[in-house]
Amino acid sequence: MINKILIVDDSPVARRMLRTSIPKDKGYEIFEASNGQDGVEKYQELKPDVVFMDLTMPVLDGYQATAKIRELDKNATVIVTTADIQPKSIASVMELGAFTLLKKPAKAESIKEALSKVEMKLKKLRENK
Amino acid sequence: MMTPEALDVFSDEEKDILQEIMNIAFGNATADLADVVDIYVKLSVPSVQVIGIGDLPEYLKTTIKTDGTSNIIEQKFWGNFKGSGLLVFPGGTERDLMAILEDQDREEVASTQMATLEKGGLLEIGNILIGACVGKVSELLDTFVTYSPPQVLQGDTHNCNFIVEQFDPSQTAIVMKTLFTFKEKDINGFLLILTNHESIGWLRKALKNFMDSYE
Repeated sequence: MINKILIVDDSPVARRMLRTSIPKDKGYEIFEASNGQDGVEKYQELKPDVVFMDLTMPVLDGYQATAKIRELDKNATVIVTTADIQPKSIASVMELGAFTLLKKPAKAESIKEALSKVEMKLKKLRENK
Repeated sequence: MMTPEALDVFSDEEKDILQEIMNIAFGNATADLADVVDIYVKLSVPSVQVIGIGDLPEYLKTTIKTDGTSNIIEQKFWGNFKGSGLLVFPGGTERDLMAILEDQDREEVASTQMATLEKGGLLEIGNILIGACVGKVSELLDTFVTYSPPQVLQGDTHNCNFIVEQFDPSQTAIVMKTLFTFKEKDINGFLLILTNHESIGWLRKALKNFMDSYE
């Protein structure tokens, strides 16, 4: 079950757009980080169930942050939300272990669908423990 | 020189919204380019600045800092959102840029034809990136624009006055800038979208409507 969600994006507007598009009836606790480095630190501190990760960010970009988070926790679920939808960018971040990629601006419906898939993944992980 | 009050036409939040819209739009534009040619474009975080028109030539001179010459592809657009898109590459990169689009043996092409091909290559890249970026900004802000054909401005970057002639010198320009790198060719460039005072009222309302759809 998803309890905590971490949004990593340098744009406060992008964080707000995403936050308002996440279903409100599930009681998710939503946290925010303003760049990749902040995201990795908050991941360690909060242990969120899902991370929404932008790619183009200062300090540490989303590729590096995804790699670091997956290094820290091989089961980490990172949903990439990006405007950079070039095939090579998508392939690179999926190779790093991203769960899925949502094109910005992400629609509420696609966020809901992605979170449902995460719920299924988490359920399988629990069953296999 | 504009007073600080005159330049304060957007709130920080409005600039943030514009910056995110520019980020989305340029990301889409590079994906459009990748549909046409096998190129990977490394993106950077865009910036939004409001600059007095009188200060724009100095800004462009400082921003377009290369060996003195640049390839500038300009495309004007009209509508509620009105201005110019400028795609800037360092001088001397024309052949590499053309090679991105053309897969032919350039040794066999005469130099006079080469210049034409290079110009065509620049225009095509400009047309895709500027058109797609401005188009996406317009789409997100729920409007549409029409375009002039792109044109290549090659020459001395120390004289950027020709770019600002279309603006009223007493007004302000909104400058949205995105840096990028064509990875395989190691060419850095940037895209500027300049829009003037006339668009500001409409733009503020459009930005508010855009964010209201996320409330």
